Amino acid sequence: MHRHLTVIALLLMSFLSPAALHAEEPAEIIKRSQEAFFYPGKDMQARVKMALIAKTGQERLRELTMLRMNGSGGDQKYFMYFHNPGDVRGMSFMVYKYPNKDDDRWLFIPSINLVNRIAARDSRSSFVGSDFTYEDVSGRDIEADTYKYIKEDALEGKPCHVIESTPKNPTEYIRKISWIDKTTYLPLKDEYYDVQGSLYKVFTAEKVEMIGGLPTATKRTMANVKSGHKTEVVFEGIAYNVGLSDDLFTERYLRKPPEKWIK
Amino acid sequence: MASRLTQISVERPKSVIAVIMVLTFFFLIQFPKIVTDTDPKNMLPASSPVRDYNDQMESLFALHKDMMAVGIVNEKGIFNPATLERIARLTGEITKIKGVVVQDVMSLTTVDNVLSGDGQLIVRPVMDHVPGSQEEIEALQREVYDNPMLVGRLVSADRTVTAIYIPLEEGADAKQVADRIRGLVDNEKGEERYYVAGDPVARDTFGHTMFIQMAMFSPMAGLIMMIMLYLMFRNVTLIMAMMAVAFLSILWSMGALIGAGYPVHIMSSMIPVFLMAIATDSVHIFNEFYFRLKETGNKRQAILETMTVVGPPVRYTALATAVGFGVLVIMHIIPVKVFGLFVAFGTVVIRLMSFSLIPAVMMLTSDRSLLAAAGREDEEAGKGSSWLRRLGEIGFHRYRAVAGAGLILFIAAIAGVSQIHVNNNMVSWFKKGSDIRQADTILNERLAGTATAYIVAESGEPDAMKRYENLKAIGELQRELEGLPVVGKTTSIVDIVKRVNKVLHGNRPEYDTLPTSTEETAQYLFLFGMSAKPRDLDNVVTADYDKANIFLQLKTWDAVAMRGVVKKIEEFKRLHPGLSLEFRPAGISYFNMVWNDKVLFDMIKGFIIALIVVFIILVFNFRSFKWGIVSYIPLLFTILLIYGFVGFIGKDFDMPISVLSALSLGMAVDFSIHFIRRFQQRYAEEQDVERAILWTAARPGKGIIRNAILFASAFSVMIFAPLTPYLTVGLFIAGMMTISALLTILFLPAMIRMLGRWLISS
Repeated sequence: MHRHLTVIALLLMSFLSPAALHAEEPAEIIKRSQEAFFYPGKDMQARVKMALIAKTGQERLRELTMLRMNGSGGDQKYFMYFHNPGDVRGMSFMVYKYPNKDDDRWLFIPSINLVNRIAARDSRSSFVGSDFTYEDVSGRDIEADTYKYIKEDALEGKPCHVIESTPKNPTEYIRKISWIDKTTYLPLKDEYYDVQGSLYKVFTAEKVEMIGGLPTATKRTMANVKSGHKTEVVFEGIAYNVGLSDDLFTERYLRKPPEKWIK
Repeated sequence: MASRLTQISVERPKSVIAVIMVLTFFFLIQFPKIVTDTDPKNMLPASSPVRDYNDQMESLFALHKDMMAVGIVNEKGIFNPATLERIARLTGEITKIKGVVVQDVMSLTTVDNVLSGDGQLIVRPVMDHVPGSQEEIEALQREVYDNPMLVGRLVSADRTVTAIYIPLEEGADAKQVADRIRGLVDNEKGEERYYVAGDPVARDTFGHTMFIQMAMFSPMAGLIMMIMLYLMFRNVTLIMAMMAVAFLSILWSMGALIGAGYPVHIMSSMIPVFLMAIATDSVHIFNEFYFRLKETGNKRQAILETMTVVGPPVRYTALATAVGFGVLVIMHIIPVKVFGLFVAFGTVVIRLMSFSLIPAVMMLTSDRSLLAAAGREDEEAGKGSSWLRRLGEIGFHRYRAVAGAGLILFIAAIAGVSQIHVNNNMVSWFKKGSDIRQADTILNERLAGTATAYIVAESGEPDAMKRYENLKAIGELQRELEGLPVVGKTTSIVDIVKRVNKVLHGNRPEYDTLPTSTEETAQYLFLFGMSAKPRDLDNVVTADYDKANIFLQLKTWDAVAMRGVVKKIEEFKRLHPGLSLEFRPAGISYFNMVWNDKVLFDMIKGFIIALIVVFIILVFNFRSFKWGIVSYIPLLFTILLIYGFVGFIGKDFDMPISVLSALSLGMAVDFSIHFIRRFQQRYAEEQDVERAILWTAARPGKGIIRNAILFASAFSVMIFAPLTPYLTVGLFIAGMMTISALLTILFLPAMIRMLGRWLISS
């Protein structure tokens, strides 16, 4: 239903002048994009395959089950259970994410039967050793940047808003250009420019599928074009609104993962 | 052929000069195509096994080829707000410099520390904000010095130094980056001192300086030669002819080198200096010409006579020199080949010019001014000549004492040669007071070392690097290597596993060990991989965990230091025969050691071949085996004395010194050829050994001494060179020529006297 409305809205808009096409505020577009990308459904379950690929082609592979539940006011809880590599099976990682303050993170190490709290750090730091940062996985504070509408563009035939984000406080990038699908509001491509002003990281949503009525990027890549290192992430068996409950996201389940959800 | 050439030059001097000018123009237009290559790596072709393995390991472990370091020193300690603030600011500014790999700059503000606090595992930059209060500063120091992986690398044990490591993108000019950093540092007004060091800085600075050197010192040496020549011959036109021969040979051979598409390399940059030296051989022509001119008073006749008597020795000295360098062409190292080839080419050019340009210019010079200048020449009464004559007399009459002194010197030289220490160190190519030397010294003193190498542990099976026995062996090898005084620090996957183990167990020291369980190790490494940047794990272990990388910091760039490391690894393998790991060295220090050895041994091999070939030429030249041996002795003796001296003063036998060996051969042979040839000519005329010898000592001897003085004075300017290889080359050429000249004039008469009957009957 929602999709039909969007199509109708687009059809209507196409009759209007080009200026009116992006009458929407760039910050508003980013906000909608974050909702579409990071918050679809009330909860989510997925099997995630992650390949960390070096310039030489050698790969470090990770396979995990990811459970996500949305809370109120942008809060989220994540539960990650590692299946592979085999010798780390059973390691589990739990994150409570808050939009305006540091995350809470816990890790379970089965070989020494220890749950350790992991201090949150800069949200620009690497997410589980990949080219993605925590921010790339769970969203960046919308107030942290200023936005500018650059142009309209089409990526592989999909009309996009192209928006430039500039961080208010110094961070590792000085500029990000995002291509946001006008229909789904999913980011299809992000280009990151470093302090020398040169392109160094590119995010691509390589495959977008409709799952349970929700557009979902099921294959994503973050490539460091300077170092040649990249990370490919494939989401499989995605299910939304499966009915995850709060008690799942506790230390008890970290030690003894909920078999029902971890397949 | 040569005499035909001389005939033509005497008949039609202007046409000959015109032809030379046209040819020179052709070589000159090659110069804009100049390409330079200052990377010593290119001493070996890209396909050489050591280079190939090195490249493979660098990409396998995501290591940067070029890494420079900035040392920040505060004698009162770096842990104060002002210094820490500067470190943070400078790190930020450095990342903005083009050519710097932004994400991998390593400094207190960017390198991650793994620590435990409040029951949490904390992974964050060592200094994630500049501490304001004394408590915060204390806490920072505790954190830093609790992590052994940081001490010696990022900060010094005595807390006065911190380093920023700056990886460079491929093709970036380290000297430009270094200059930008020096510019940034100049804006800082604190009590800190800053030092820029690292292999790429040394390499690129050497490259820049090398060309300044070429552009400044070759002409300076030329100028001094001109002044000396004027004092000797008092005729500007003739001097210009001689200088023209030197410069034309340089232009022709460098033009040919550039035209053939070769880059100008560290070695080929020395070609001009060498050719300048070789060109002084034409002094013998002028020397004889002046004597002849004074005797005959006819310029044309004097020229033709001079070329007839001086021609054969000049031809053979040129041949011997060309062959001495020419043999380098059959060597393996490309820059050595190129160097040999084009010096040989330049030598041939000089010879051709000696028989064409010089007679042509002589013809065009006014008779009166020449006669006036030549009037001063007299082998009987001239001051220099009479002194030389006396020297010859000593050799001839007191031959026993001379031979005895020679024997003693010979034994001393052999003792010196046995002391020779083969080594090479690119940083020591810079003078003691230079920025690079100072930076290298202070950082090596206080940190664990700026020279780096890798030891790759290979197992051949996946996941091997999670197994206790393998990690234990790596750790043991590290301890062994750290026992060497030249090794400042080693870092590997073992240190990471131990660190994580300790931190996960509330920082309890008893957990600063390797877990015996493979799973436990695997999970610690996974945890580290989850917390750090992708590169942090890639640098120490492959994705398959089949190979691990031990990172070595050495306190010196000496090739000898790395040789010690390689020896230690072999010893370790011998003592642990059951080990399933193979250890292979790689990295810049190892690479430097390998190419140094190759260049060195190539030069020595070439030198030995040249010794044999030159001997054959000498025998052929004199049409006599006996004379061949006699003429060979001053040459061998000079070389022995030079290298004996090198051994005695403890100067490393390095790349520049080995290059010199080829030159010493090509140059030192000249004097005995001139001496003996002219002696033979004279003896044929008057059949009196003593008179012929004393005449030779006084007249061609003057040419020999003039040649030596010219050399010595011209190359003494090199003493002011900022790069020690040039200094060494300059000093040794000067020393060698002087010794060779004196030995020839003193020892040849003694030998001829001793072996007279045996020699002359032939």
